[in-house]
Amino acid sequence: MASEEAKEYVLPPEVLEETMKASEELWKPVRKIKFRIYKYNPRKDYAPYWEEHELEVSRGMTVLDALLIIKGEADHSLGLRYSCRMGLCGSCAMMINGKQMLACQTRVLEAAGSGDVVELRPLDNFPVERDLAADFTSFFEKHRAVKPWIIRNDDVELNNPTGPYKQTVDEYARYYQFTDCIKCGACLSACPTAATDYEYLGPQALAQAYRYIVDTRDNGLDVRISVVDTEHGCWRCHFAASCSDVCPRGVDPAQGIQLLKKLLIKRKFGFKPHKPAEALPAKVKAEKKG
Amino acid sequence: MEAESEFKEYYAKNMRGISGWFKARVYTIERWLYAAHRITGILIVLFVLAHFYSTGWHPGLWWDALLGIIVTFHTANGIRLILAELGFAVGKPLLIKKPSQRPVSIEGVQRYVVVFALVLFVVLAAIWAYYALVVQPMMG
Ligand code: SF4
Ligand code: SF4
Ligand code: FES
Repeated sequence: MASEEAKEYVLPPEVLEETMKASEELWKPVRKIKFRIYKYNPRKDYAPYWEEHELEVSRGMTVLDALLIIKGEADHSLGLRYSCRMGLCGSCAMMINGKQMLACQTRVLEAAGSGDVVELRPLDNFPVERDLAADFTSFFEKHRAVKPWIIRNDDVELNNPTGPYKQTVDEYARYYQFTDCIKCGACLSACPTAATDYEYLGPQALAQAYRYIVDTRDNGLDVRISVVDTEHGCWRCHFAASCSDVCPRGVDPAQGIQLLKKLLIKRKFGFKPHKPAEALPAKVKAEKKG
Repeated sequence: MEAESEFKEYYAKNMRGISGWFKARVYTIERWLYAAHRITGILIVLFVLAHFYSTGWHPGLWWDALLGIIVTFHTANGIRLILAELGFAVGKPLLIKKPSQRPVSIEGVQRYVVVFALVLFVVLAAIWAYYALVVQPMMG
């Protein structure tokens, strides 16, 4: 085997041709789109203003691609935040034609629809950092407020684990959906309650509170209830479901909040939360080795 | 100077304020229901205040029918909200998601509940209007 020279894999010519054609098709400029971009530096400018740029866009071009071209070629001062470019880091959420979306996951032509203008603003209900970048300080504080980590009473086991905690697939399924949150802030920005209540914890934090409360490894229900069962907690939500509508990761925070309310109501009627999962003895491993 | 800093703060905070309740165009129908629920709720409180002042006071024929629309909408949608808050018809968290998964809480059974709430609203409002516009005047 080793002596055999590794053959370079070559695509069959017809497949290669097809691929090239498809990619050409994808990146060929097809339409001129006008970008209206919100410009505002709260430290310098008296008021926000709009800037317009025209760009030939292709079918595959995302809003983030277009913004980076504009930043590189037309306006170097444009402020925006991005990192992964593939919908994983949650940095690039912004208002694209009036709706919260990830700039890196939205193609320009998809956003423009039949029109030829794409309007870009920073996220609503977030303080403006600069231009399209919003200030997430209070958003992250709200997330931290619900204690998004496993809380347990058995400190000894927690600090010196003897084995993994027991959890079945069904138990895992109760919270898996909410673990996909990338903290992009789109949900809080879309929430009508957050538009008037600055202190509202918001869909992201509340869904994460639910995610940890129903995790069988966790024992923090009572600690978290003092945070979520408050004036600015889950009872402020009236199921406008816009948070779920805009969530780019299918987290469905509105569902989490309703289930959280159900849990709180059940608890008022004497429902006992789950017992925290025990640690599985690490024996299994030891036996195999022996 | 004062006015200027307030002006700046307004833009720097970027809060939509009350207009945010009504920014429903780009979202799903639940957002319209949310906005309507807010308005009808506030109007009901205003009416109740007037009603406390004088329990005999009624706005009169057509206004009575309008009051009916307000109250019955708030009732019908309220039932939908209570169901949701009790965890009915919002679906179960998913273990497997499709690429660009749409939320089950609004695109599952909730769709039917919304239709049910709207139908209930129309029926209740019609009954109320019938009483306000036909039966009441007959009885004098
Ligand atoms: S719940 Fe969805 S919209 Fe909200 S922060 Fe997480 S990923 Fe973003
Ligand atoms: S469901 Fe609740 S948290 Fe989500 S947008 Fe509506 S009011 Fe806000
Ligand atoms: S750049 Fe990471 S989510 Fe868009």
